[in-house]
Amino acid sequence: MPRAIRGVLVECDPSIKSIIMKIDSEDHAFVVEDLDDGTLVIKENMLSILKMRLDEALKETQQPPSDSGSD
Amino acid sequence: MSLPSLSSREYLERLPGTTFRRLYQQPSTALAIFRRMLPHLAKTFAMALLYMTKPLPLADLDLWVRPGSKRQRDEALSLLNRLHMVTITAPSRDDPQAVSLTKAFSSSLRLALTGGGDHQSFGVPANDLETANVDVQFLDDFARAQWEGILHYIVSNVGDGMRQAGEGPTAGVKQLLEAGHMVTRQKRSGGGITQAGFSFLLQEVNAQVWTLLLLWIENAEKMGMDSVEVLSFLFMLGSLELGRAYSTTILTASQKEMLTHLVDFGLAYIPPSTPNQFFPTRLATTLTSDASALRSVAAGFDNALSAGAGTAGFIIIETNYRLYAYTSSPLQIAVLSLFTKLTTRYPNMVSGRITRESIYRAISHGITSEQVISYLSTHAHPQLLKVATAKGAPVLPPTVVDQIRLWQIENERMKATPGFLFKDFESQKEYDGCVKYADEIGVLVWKNDGKRMFFVNRMEQLRDYIKSRKVK
Repeated sequence: MPRAIRGVLVECDPSIKSIIMKIDSEDHAFVVEDLDDGTLVIKENMLSILKMRLDEALKETQQPPSDSGSD
Repeated sequence: MSLPSLSSREYLERLPGTTFRRLYQQPSTALAIFRRMLPHLAKTFAMALLYMTKPLPLADLDLWVRPGSKRQRDEALSLLNRLHMVTITAPSRDDPQAVSLTKAFSSSLRLALTGGGDHQSFGVPANDLETANVDVQFLDDFARAQWEGILHYIVSNVGDGMRQAGEGPTAGVKQLLEAGHMVTRQKRSGGGITQAGFSFLLQEVNAQVWTLLLLWIENAEKMGMDSVEVLSFLFMLGSLELGRAYSTTILTASQKEMLTHLVDFGLAYIPPSTPNQFFPTRLATTLTSDASALRSVAAGFDNALSAGAGTAGFIIIETNYRLYAYTSSPLQIAVLSLFTKLTTRYPNMVSGRITRESIYRAISHGITSEQVISYLSTHAHPQLLKVATAKGAPVLPPTVVDQIRLWQIENERMKATPGFLFKDFESQKEYDGCVKYADEIGVLVWKNDGKRMFFVNRMEQLRDYIKSRKVK
């Protein structure tokens, strides 16, 4: 008998996925099923928290290019 | 199909079957849902089944559909089923599956199409001699004033400088907007408009009306009003004639109470001299029109809306992301400020730039790049259009359009779809059958044949399918 698991399917780049896996490795609170390089299923109620944590992680690694030109 | 039917359809699909049976008692409701919510193929099925006395075996229905269009057929049938318009017998070994229209729906639709009966569900025109002197122009002006008041109230929460005391919608409407999280009273982080409010602003008028009405219905349920009466009244409004007076005497108590709220929204008008009559406005009579018919009427109303605020096109955007908007309307300036870094305001014009930050801010509020681009192109200044047609070039500078799209992609790191993961299939055959079925009813989002797993966004039908396989 097949099983059905409730969750949110997340599709993203492999690089983003590895960051998500790193966030998850701390307390395993997010990921339900690791599907492939760019897809995974996470818990439904954790989506917004994961988005927040991902934004934080990206802010540390990325330097937004400043706008050129004057107003 | 446009967006509004989607959201109102989603609301309808959540209702239980008993509610539908009562809704379909009214011919106007059956007709409205039929013409507004169904794709053409589903309409064809319903019409063909309308005068059939016996259930039609599904195998016969399949003969009407080309073999290549099985997916469309399944989607249409599943929608008809979800809206409780058809019943499909459960599959069993002895009898083949058969489909028939539900009794309440078919008899109401017949009444609606061919007339007859004493149901009064299409409204009763007022026969009083002393009808108030109300013409279409007046109704349009009234509806526009009420609706613009609501929109102004939402945007005026953005900039405190634009607040106008003593104007705006009634307290009930304000409470409703707050309950729907369009605005909040908390005055932190620069203003009280929310993500929902932003996307609300950029919608078509008809979509806005539906959004607000659905909000109101949800609230009305909490106040103890009967959602069936409320919904049938709405669907009745959609079948009334613009510029005609209708009698309020056949309305139930909660429908009368609802009418006062509809006046607040600008959907109906009650003349002070004859309080037992009401006039539906253009906002109400276009509620349940067919999608294509709606476009033209909504466009007419949009023109009326913009006529009050100046010419239709007022935005000039240059290849260096500078934006000039010839407007003095606080509503339009507020909408622009959602995705533009406005710097200077002159008496008849504002100027600013579209920047990475301003687009990021818009996206974080739930506005998509396509919404921004379509807003810019629909409101482009005539000068831009003239140059574009002379050169045969697109209206907006392609660099700007591309960059806005790129900024959005940059920010969208992951795509999330709620639903259900199916795994642990016993055999390849079982997996193949389920995947094929999920794909055909249009719920399959992702699959991996190697791992025998797949993901769907809706599971009720699939669960029934798996169960029925077990029976065989």
